[in-house]
Amino acid sequence: MPTPIITKDLCKGCELCVHACPEGVLEMSTEINAKGYFFPVAAHPEKCTGCRYCLLVCPDTAIQIEAKGKVTVRTEGLTDKQFHYCPGCTHGVIHRLVAECLEELGIRERTVGVAPVGCSVLAYDYFNCDMHEASHGRAMAVATGIKRGRKDLVVFSYQGDGDLASIGMAETVHTANRGEKITVIFVNNAIYGMTGGQMAPTTLAGQVASTCPLGRDVNHAGWPIRVVELLQSLRTPAYLARVSVHDPKSILAAKRAIRKAFKYQIDGVCFSFVEVVSTCPTGWGMQPHESCNWLEENMIPYYPLGEVKTPETAA
Amino acid sequence: MHSEIIMAGFGGQGVLLIGKLLAYAGMKAGNEVTWMPAYGPEMRGGTCNCTVVLSDKPVGSPITRSPHALIVLNLPSLEKFESAVRPGGVIVVNTSLINRLPARSDVRTVPVAANEIAQEAGTPKAANMVALGAFLGATGLGDMAVVKEVLGETFASRPKLIDLNQTCLDRGYEIGKACAAQARS
Amino acid sequence: MAKKLMKGCEAIGEAAINAGCRLFFGYPITPQNEIPEYLSARLPQVGGTFLQAESEVAASNMLYGAAGAGCRVFTSSSSPGISLMMEAMSYLAGAELPVVVVNIMRGGPGLGGILPSQSDYFQATKGGGHGDYRVLVLAPSTVQEAVDLTQDAFDLADEYRNPVMVVGDGLIGQMMEPVEFKRTISPEDLPPKPWATTGCAGRKPNIINSLLLNPEHLEAHNWHLHRKYQEMVKEIRWEDWLLDEPVDVLIVAYGTVARICKTAIDVLRARGIKVGLFRPITLYPFPEPQLSAAVDKAKKVLVTELSTGQMLEDVRAVVAGRKPVSFFGRVGGMVMTPEEIEHEVDKLVVQG
Repeated sequence: MPTPIITKDLCKGCELCVHACPEGVLEMSTEINAKGYFFPVAAHPEKCTGCRYCLLVCPDTAIQIEAKGKVTVRTEGLTDKQFHYCPGCTHGVIHRLVAECLEELGIRERTVGVAPVGCSVLAYDYFNCDMHEASHGRAMAVATGIKRGRKDLVVFSYQGDGDLASIGMAETVHTANRGEKITVIFVNNAIYGMTGGQMAPTTLAGQVASTCPLGRDVNHAGWPIRVVELLQSLRTPAYLARVSVHDPKSILAAKRAIRKAFKYQIDGVCFSFVEVVSTCPTGWGMQPHESCNWLEENMIPYYPLGEVKTPETAA
Repeated sequence: MHSEIIMAGFGGQGVLLIGKLLAYAGMKAGNEVTWMPAYGPEMRGGTCNCTVVLSDKPVGSPITRSPHALIVLNLPSLEKFESAVRPGGVIVVNTSLINRLPARSDVRTVPVAANEIAQEAGTPKAANMVALGAFLGATGLGDMAVVKEVLGETFASRPKLIDLNQTCLDRGYEIGKACAAQARS
Repeated sequence: MAKKLMKGCEAIGEAAINAGCRLFFGYPITPQNEIPEYLSARLPQVGGTFLQAESEVAASNMLYGAAGAGCRVFTSSSSPGISLMMEAMSYLAGAELPVVVVNIMRGGPGLGGILPSQSDYFQATKGGGHGDYRVLVLAPSTVQEAVDLTQDAFDLADEYRNPVMVVGDGLIGQMMEPVEFKRTISPEDLPPKPWATTGCAGRKPNIINSLLLNPEHLEAHNWHLHRKYQEMVKEIRWEDWLLDEPVDVLIVAYGTVARICKTAIDVLRARGIKVGLFRPITLYPFPEPQLSAAVDKAKKVLVTELSTGQMLEDVRAVVAGRKPVSFFGRVGGMVMTPEEIEHEVDKLVVQG
């Protein structure tokens, strides 16, 4: 019988797993862990079907599944370091997806990642491969330098919306337009998280942020930028996809897109770009599961999911 | 030996090229040389000039306010640089495009109808070579054989132009030499 | 190898190739366009990569990537473009990455002009970007020296794991002089860089980083960098010219200005005036003890630059009030003539 195994001290009490479980296996504890958070417990283990939804949504790799005597393990694409992200922040999920792809594709030892400035500035501590920390907005330029210097390496950048779509927009457009054989993971949570919740280039119309306290006024700040569609207008970039991480099925689809993006790079096919629509519960001022619902209701209509362009459709 | 030469004309008349040939030939002959173009806004369309320094010791300043010699292919260049030439210096004047001779009596003037001579030889474009030849003939600076050699190297990809340019160089050289002989007599 | 007549900019490009560099990232700006133009044709011939970036900001960050991945890499620009690279310069210094940056200086501030200048001396020698850092700065005065120093710059950058800047002015970039490429090394023969991000097979991941949030670690890092900069005094280079005997006037000048001074000194010496020249070749570290010794032999010091007095401050610090220091500068793209230098020296001599 499958059972979720919870490493309680990794947990930040976001409750995403409890909401994700379709069978009601998990409940939050009444005691707190070493970090001071309530953590999930398998209150009804007999109901577990081994669907792994809890594992998929956990941003802190605190849940593994035991089934038929085997236990899932944390991917070797991640270091042992615990994420510093806020409770329920989906960066942890996206990190795990990227890291799993590095492991599954057998490229970890020949991959160099580039971390941005933003919440994921410390990503170099988490990915278990060679890493660069770039200045704000320049990750794709740094990635270009690495890839042009060492074509045998697999190079990816991991960037947020302020980094990629505001200060680094020139680098974004031109790196894509040159068709650099790199993979870009673009985490769009519609807000500046690290600096405390200011307006991002992707903040939705009417969405409140600390520098647009009455909501984004599109007559003042313009409409939020749809980066994938913007890049679609360029002829060169060939793999452009938008995915989300607000529920288990979306997370699985996100993984497939990220994997494909790396595969295209490994095969020397094209520049590959995956926008991951994600949440910022702290910046948005919501509970983690509420932010997932908010994402689904507000972000996806404006940022539609799917593969906008593939090398096959481009040809 | 130390000689500072300014070559000037309209953009497109090839003054930078004859400067390079002179510098290149100087280097081949074992001299220290510099070639310095004026690269300012004047490059665009207006007058164009470069300074060549030939010396038997390392060259200090690559630019000069008082050249030993001046090659001018158009009137604005003569007006700009005439007064700068050192007393006893040489001014090669392209009389095809310049309707007056230098007013100074303390310099040697070498008038040469560079455009007409080049035209007769087959192309008006080689007026710069005629002027360079006249300068070499009048001053005795540089070895014609070496200049022709570097000219051959410069036009290696367009061999048709080599003979033509060498002819122009020779025509100019004769005029310059005659001018020098006349000055001595 | 026979001497070739080359433009300064092109010679610098060829020098980089001779130093085993196969990567160039840059953005066009006058008066250094001959460097990228030359390399765009030349690098592919030797299996290298030339890439025109979308901006100097991007180009300098491409350097950060390539240098971190262990490649010899360089860029060139001119003053306004160098300003845009100053952010990356700070990161490169912080992450201790070896790169070579050539600045063919033009007149400023702002867009300024395109003619020769030395007005980026402060920016080059005092760090230029944010944070407590320095780059090693080399200032050639002939095209041959530009070649030799550019090649050395790559070795020095690797040795100190630090950016090295070669500063020239428009004169040296545009001028043609005979040059000789005395040594050449291919990329395969360069020493390995075990710290570089070349893929973590068989070792722990390498991280290229300048972020140290722990203040104790950042302080330690800053002092480590400081000690490294102090070690660079071993690399100090300078030229004493006609300083065997005491002089009435010691001229201090660098780059092409120094050779203009040499022409003036020839004339002054012929007139019986005792003048000598001290030429810093490394601008950082500044040749302080060497200049101090030269100052001891002089009655007066004349500093001349294509600026309103930047190196002047470093000279004054060395002279420390021992001798009178006067200054003559031309700016905005105007270049002093040998006659003007003569005149300045004459004034000092007449004053007695």
